[in-house]
Amino acid sequence: MVFAATNSLTLPDYVVIVLYLIGTIAMGIVIGARMKTGKEFFLGGRRLPWWAIGMSLVATDIGGTDIIGVGGAAFSHGMAIANFEWIGCVPAMIVGAFVFIPFLYRSGVYTVPEFLERRYNVGVRAVMAACWLVFMACNLGIMLLASAKMMSTVFGWNEVGCMLVTAILVGGYTFVGGLAAVVYTDMIQCGVMIAGCLLILVLGLVEIGGVGELRKRLAEADVREAAIVNEGVSVSNAEADSERTSLILPADTESPFPWPGIYFGLALILSPAYWLGNQAIVQRSLGARSEFEARASYIWGALLKNIIPLIVAVPGLIAVVLLPDLSNGDQAIPSLIGVLLPAGLRGLFVAAFLAALMSSMDSYLNSAATIVSNDFYKRFIDRDVSDERLLKVGRVTTIVLVAWAVLFAFLLATMSEKSGIYAVFQTLMAFFQGPAFAVLLLGVLWRRATGQAAFIALLCGIGTSVSLYALNQPDVYGALGWEPLFRIHEPFLYFSIWAFLVTAAVLVVVSLLGTPEPSGKLRYVFGGHTGDTCSPTDTESSAGPAGRCL
Amino acid sequence: MTPLHHLGELLRAILKTIPLTAIRVLFVASLVALLIWVVRLPKSATEPDGGAKRWDENLKIGAAGALLIQIVIYALL
Repeated sequence: MVFAATNSLTLPDYVVIVLYLIGTIAMGIVIGARMKTGKEFFLGGRRLPWWAIGMSLVATDIGGTDIIGVGGAAFSHGMAIANFEWIGCVPAMIVGAFVFIPFLYRSGVYTVPEFLERRYNVGVRAVMAACWLVFMACNLGIMLLASAKMMSTVFGWNEVGCMLVTAILVGGYTFVGGLAAVVYTDMIQCGVMIAGCLLILVLGLVEIGGVGELRKRLAEADVREAAIVNEGVSVSNAEADSERTSLILPADTESPFPWPGIYFGLALILSPAYWLGNQAIVQRSLGARSEFEARASYIWGALLKNIIPLIVAVPGLIAVVLLPDLSNGDQAIPSLIGVLLPAGLRGLFVAAFLAALMSSMDSYLNSAATIVSNDFYKRFIDRDVSDERLLKVGRVTTIVLVAWAVLFAFLLATMSEKSGIYAVFQTLMAFFQGPAFAVLLLGVLWRRATGQAAFIALLCGIGTSVSLYALNQPDVYGALGWEPLFRIHEPFLYFSIWAFLVTAAVLVVVSLLGTPEPSGKLRYVFGGHTGDTCSPTDTESSAGPAGRCL
Repeated sequence: MTPLHHLGELLRAILKTIPLTAIRVLFVASLVALLIWVVRLPKSATEPDGGAKRWDENLKIGAAGALLIQIVIYALL
């Protein structure tokens, strides 16, 4: 609340915020008025254009957690956090555009777990669907909490009120308009988000005196900190640690982003797992007008991704210079608003923050509803469900998820005090993203991979990451009389590496010990299909074990 | 100390011996390799059915542009 007094909004601020909200919700309702079937609700009727999907991909990936969390991490750990938006996104998006997305699009599935059933078996589908559902449902709560924290800190608004209003607004237009509403509103939100964050960046650089001055003052800050660490002994610029502005940090850095974690854990495992296997991401490209447009959306998204760290991470460095006495990284961006933005412009940043939050929340809401409807209801409860009935199931699920998100946000508020928001989010993903990617990757590359092996390997991989997490908790390793397994703080990148390796090893060994899969399954391996492609009408139902297309 | 700790110490010791300059080369070389792969992709993978009618319908250009920006960033920062 320290900054609340200096951040009060004026009438023009509220006008900007209200205009943004009205525009977003009106668009969702207009699109939703034409919604008649489940296919329209879950895949936008496969009529979505590449440019809207590309912007939606970026908007979905950058949530309110990122605007606060990435800026906060840049404040605490330096520019290495930008790896998550650069090498942690762009290469995987380009490989996805030319290799994986066309393959998934041609298979005609609604969800990634559905693809895994066609390639492996229903057990793999169920485990993966459950993992994604838990992740998305928890993530919804994290997003709500992040938004409430920021609005409460910066503007002194009531935290509970913020959570409820955000949940109702996002839930409302997602309930009505489905994926099409999500993608088109994301497009607006992407523009608003970039504009708002750019404002902070530009005003911050002007305040400091330019990029050169920023670098100089960051180096001075490094020298000051190094001197404190060395108990007052004078340290020269050359001696001072310059990790603050480097993307590549040594293996023994104290930050959570050493280069082995970034290269092996992020670039090679977590990033492809996210861009090729995350239902919330992949789903919108499955709704593209054509396979070419699905590819184009990923390339457009990769181009846009190049500018994101400049507008969300660099403000964290600006805060190091302008607000050196802050103790908590999560306060960096909210505090910067109070220092930099005059009354009247704060509304634009609030709109940008809401845009980032809403664009991610709506995507996770719609994707979680798609998983519940297609991977659970349609697969296990009513396989002959009509498309109209599935639309109703999707909408009811959306409401239930909104209610859950609010409850989880309250729960999380009592649990996340000792950890940054971003770290909580990343740890959650690292539990199963490595194993999920190993199963997907070997499934499409290796004909000999079997369903039974994939199921066992998936459970072993998830067990590995959860065990590593548990063994790295001070209470646990203290009770065992051990040293911590990892030296860095928040070693989620290392969890994903080991979980990926264990999953891949178990999958290979168990596959080789078992009998090969029948030829029908091999249609879902690269180079193993017959050349037939699915038309949109072929994709109406969950295919049986052998699938109907490809 | 468990076998896991010994394995961790061994890996840590090996990774610490690699100079950061070599790591930077690894990052940039990976991106360059990806760029070469993109440039060599067949037209069927990078253009719509019937071929590109405008320059922006060739996805190679956008993908190569995104990767070139990455290469510059990782070479400098």
